[in-house]
Amino acid sequence: MKTAEIAQLLRLEVALDLRQRAAWGGMLLYVVSAVYVCFLAVKGGLGTATWNALYWIILLFAAFNALARSFQREEGGRQLYLYTLADPRSVVLARTVYNAITMMVLSLLSLMFYALFLGSEVLASADLPQFLLAVVLGGLGFATVLTLISAIAARAGNGLGLMAILGFPLVLPMLLAVMRASKLALDGVAWSVTSTYFGGLLLLDVITVTLAWVLFPYLWRD
Amino acid sequence: MKHWWWKSLAVALLLVASIAAFWVPLSPALVHVSPSRIAPGEVVIHVTGYNTHFTPEMRVFIENDGQQVCASMIETIDATHARIVMNVPQGLRASMSDLSVQGLLYPGAFYSDALGDGIENDGCGNVNKIELQTPGFTFPNRSILYESIRNLHFHVPMWFTMIVLMGISVWHSIKGLGDNSLDRDRKAVSAVHVGLLFCGLGLTTGAFWARATWGAFWTNDVKLNGAAVTALIYLAYLVLRGSIPDAHKRARLSAIYNVFAFMLLVLFLFVVPRLNAIDSLHPGNGGNSGFNDLDLDNRLRVIFYPAVAGWILLGTWMYDLRERSARLRELTEQ
Amino acid sequence: MRNFSLLTLLLLTSVSALGQDAAPGWLESTLYGNGKINVVILVVAVIISGIGLWMFSMDRRLRRMEKNLKK
Repeated sequence: MKTAEIAQLLRLEVALDLRQRAAWGGMLLYVVSAVYVCFLAVKGGLGTATWNALYWIILLFAAFNALARSFQREEGGRQLYLYTLADPRSVVLARTVYNAITMMVLSLLSLMFYALFLGSEVLASADLPQFLLAVVLGGLGFATVLTLISAIAARAGNGLGLMAILGFPLVLPMLLAVMRASKLALDGVAWSVTSTYFGGLLLLDVITVTLAWVLFPYLWRD
Repeated sequence: MKHWWWKSLAVALLLVASIAAFWVPLSPALVHVSPSRIAPGEVVIHVTGYNTHFTPEMRVFIENDGQQVCASMIETIDATHARIVMNVPQGLRASMSDLSVQGLLYPGAFYSDALGDGIENDGCGNVNKIELQTPGFTFPNRSILYESIRNLHFHVPMWFTMIVLMGISVWHSIKGLGDNSLDRDRKAVSAVHVGLLFCGLGLTTGAFWARATWGAFWTNDVKLNGAAVTALIYLAYLVLRGSIPDAHKRARLSAIYNVFAFMLLVLFLFVVPRLNAIDSLHPGNGGNSGFNDLDLDNRLRVIFYPAVAGWILLGTWMYDLRERSARLRELTEQ
Repeated sequence: MRNFSLLTLLLLTSVSALGQDAAPGWLESTLYGNGKINVVILVVAVIISGIGLWMFSMDRRLRRMEKNLKK
């Protein structure tokens, strides 16, 4: 593992992304529209369980939308160029870290919009640090799973459609665990109960990143 | 002969297990007792048994908090129906009483209010051990399953076979990533095809059994979610393969997806249920007792394990046929 | 085709006749006692039909190969 190389690649990612500000605007607009559609559909008055479920469904689709781009720009010469410069493992780690940051920002922003439109009464009785931890860990989990899937879909030459088909069953375990954890956090359950969920989520994340790290070089070479 | 022994073993095991699965009788049990409330005085109780041999000489008593009330008259209608008259005294200590007929226990059979502080123990005698022993080799008689407990030997081996076939597929995918061979890819995809057949059979049989036992074709249960996710993953695997025209690229990408998905699937099947360990209807999960308890006792195991082995061997055999035919097709289409 | 349906009819009637004859026998009090055996029959039927369908698909694959070889 080369930390310096990863840091450099990460800086490259950020620089490239800052040049495409429209992409970020697109992602935000997607989330806001999704939240607004939900607001129109349910018109407030949600119970804790439904509030929680709806939030995670919005976040799930936002994650697919945001991370599908992850490897799409690699078509053509740029991949070859990166290939000569960097170790594929550094590339996938940098990309995972970058996607994780994206997802965390996106999930917190969408939480803000969500609370604004669909009411934040649910949060009043919640254990807020726990809930935010669940949100962050969930975003991290989506990012780790979908990074490799996005790379596979991009290499297969098929964009969002294939990514949704490949990614959905793999995200489901993560989604079920994180929904349960955030529901418990919203109910204000003690740390001693929820810590197993957070530990399990972290374990899932670590294993997923390790798998991506092992498998990515095979995907890279041609 | 070398190729035949395990195939013969598959047939033999399946034959023995399937015949036994139908042949072995269920152990006797009490299935219905009415009325469900008793009050002091004379009470007439109707008892329905299953696989029982009721006789007027059998020992019948109500047990309430360790104290017993004997039957005053027993009238057997036939081998499985009896009318029992009891004189219930004043002063039962507990609100729930059990009924014992011929050594068969029906726990929590009666409810009574107006509690007192004990009755004179009739002492109908401790049930002697001989009465409690079930005659011969039988399957356990569980309250909502009854005869459908035999499904254990047909439905559950489908999942074992599927997991083994997917394991074979992943093994070939890992090997294929190492040496880039299309042979490995063919083996992996053949195993997935046969595995999906067993997945479909497991889902369908499970749905019917669930309808008969729990009242719904599909319940929100970790095991069922696991099954659904497995089906989705491997259907996605086939979609991925279908969308890549180049054979080598298809082999590599699908192998990567296979390994990644299988590892996450294993986590989902064996780790996440531990996290959500509250709500499963299946044995071994949540509040339900596991395979070590009544659900899969030794009498069932004796048939269940040969059935699992037989189905796994049959699945492997089907995979072998599929793989060989795929290889032949490649040869003939060149 | 007609032969086939005739055979099915014959089979069905014989099965139902069997069911009527054996009215209060041991089967009613044991295996058929509470209708739960039907689901076992259904499950076994599903498995056998599933494997039967697989056999047909395998048959079709082989037939296609034979055609290719003849060409």
